[in-house]
Amino acid sequence: MRIESLRLKNYKSFRDATMADIPPLCVVVGANGTGKTTLFGVFGFLKDCMIHNVRQALQVRGGFREVRSRGAGEDECIEIEIKFRLDIVGVERLVTYLVQIGEKRGRPVVRREVLRYKRARYGAPYHFLDFSNGSGFAITNEEDFNKSDEELDREEQKVASDTLAISGLGQFERFKAANAFRSLIEHWHVSDFHISQARGTKDAVGIDDHLSPSGDNLQLVARNIYENHPKVFEEILQGMRERVPGVSSVTPKLTDDGRLLLQFQDGAFKDPFVDRFVSDGTIKMFAYLVLLHDPHPHPLLCVEEPENQLYPTLLEELAEEFRDYAMRGGQVLVSTHSPDFLNALRLDEVFWLRKRDGYTQILRARDDQQVAAYMADGDRMGALWKQGFFAGADPR
Amino acid sequence: MTTLVFLLEEPSAREMLDGVMQRLMPQMTDIRFVVFEGKQDMMHGLERKLRGWLAPDTRFVVFRDQDSADCHDVKQALVEICRRAGRPDALTRVACRELESFYLGDLAAVEHGLELNGLATRQDGRKYRSPDGLNNAKEELIRLTGGHYQERAGSRSIARHLRIDGANRSRSFNVLLAGIQRLTRGATGADGQVIGE
Repeated sequence: MRIESLRLKNYKSFRDATMADIPPLCVVVGANGTGKTTLFGVFGFLKDCMIHNVRQALQVRGGFREVRSRGAGEDECIEIEIKFRLDIVGVERLVTYLVQIGEKRGRPVVRREVLRYKRARYGAPYHFLDFSNGSGFAITNEEDFNKSDEELDREEQKVASDTLAISGLGQFERFKAANAFRSLIEHWHVSDFHISQARGTKDAVGIDDHLSPSGDNLQLVARNIYENHPKVFEEILQGMRERVPGVSSVTPKLTDDGRLLLQFQDGAFKDPFVDRFVSDGTIKMFAYLVLLHDPHPHPLLCVEEPENQLYPTLLEELAEEFRDYAMRGGQVLVSTHSPDFLNALRLDEVFWLRKRDGYTQILRARDDQQVAAYMADGDRMGALWKQGFFAGADPR
Repeated sequence: MTTLVFLLEEPSAREMLDGVMQRLMPQMTDIRFVVFEGKQDMMHGLERKLRGWLAPDTRFVVFRDQDSADCHDVKQALVEICRRAGRPDALTRVACRELESFYLGDLAAVEHGLELNGLATRQDGRKYRSPDGLNNAKEELIRLTGGHYQERAGSRSIARHLRIDGANRSRSFNVLLAGIQRLTRGATGADGQVIGE
């Protein structure tokens, strides 16, 4: 499953912006405050809407009036539209999910929520879920592609007006597209490492498959891979040896009092170091390798500024590793301020944000003829960016 | 001791040469790489780097992709820069048309390096018999490997397996190696031994 496009209307600084034909590895640059974090935050917002409700999701973001773009008319809605490619009974379909959120007597309401896709190569997209202001229908036998539109079973439903229909219906396997979309949003992952939280000893309780956003369960995830996926762990170690001088091995170690810590071995010395005495960059590199070698990749991974604490030439390799991860099944969105990271990217993969009259615009490298021409002639993304060819990306 | 300096347009070329030179001339111990940020940066900064180089007894290899330009023009431009910089004896070489053409010329190396199957047998196919003629080698290689080729990591893995005995189907690769061997004739290694006599 892959997100194909994202359209935002009246969502914070995005008054009306579209990102189309999103590649598996998608990298966004832009000056501070142009909306990179806001852009990634859309998925977090949808997730909050889904597992709690729209009112709560808005509340933690300052309320409807903070989230809706400034300058939007009184009756205008926040609108989010996501198109994604999904395999439904052996055929790849382009599915569209649309939600419009408005306000009624000071309370947020879901004005419209639609999930639609084409049932055949031709014809108009069919609505498999369509709700407005709390009532609507869902199709219960969507996988019967032989049946004509009239024969499909509609199930009329009512939900609270500040609740997404998809959050309930998406839990049922028989609503194929709704279920897949729910799972994408539910399992999207943002990586925002806090080295200080990743260090130290941790309670060795339970098994963690995935690294947490802050990286505070690094020890548990490392142990899981170490014990259950030894081949993957060896790849991680090989990556460490190539990138961090002196590190020959890393071992998750259980202490006498039932806690877990990481030991770093330097080839030159007999005794290992505990992670407390290892540099921030070393921990971060290890955490990234653990994240990116995850045996079960997240469907959507967002990473903000991966360059912090890392040696510049390592960033190009990191970019290639993100691309590998995206190829293994997850889509990766990255925001960065690093030309070195950008140098490893292909024309298709780079977007930049700029602000015009207070609102964010999304531009794409491949749509810029000059950038495309230079790239075809052997230039590199980061160099072009530094030379000022990303129109409007630099702060003035 | 002789220093051999490669001036390159991108890090993937460095990975390739690193893997090849270890086998081509293990006696050549002092090899350095000057890696520019793409072609423009290279054409702009090359002359100054050549002219300002301090270490004595240094030999230079200037190497870049042809890409969409005319091969002859690119070569002439490089020769001219070297001459202006006072290094007319620098070896100038152009990959026809991209670094990846070298890999398409030795699909067995790609197969081993990227741990894939069934590539080597396709070497005699129309496209790969003489890969220097392809004008989109990188795209072709990415497609052929199902996306497993990545510029830097891929170059590193493949370079270890590239044959250096003239069996590569890319003529420009073989010409590059022959040039390096000629350039380093009479150079001296770490222990003062003379190379390539």
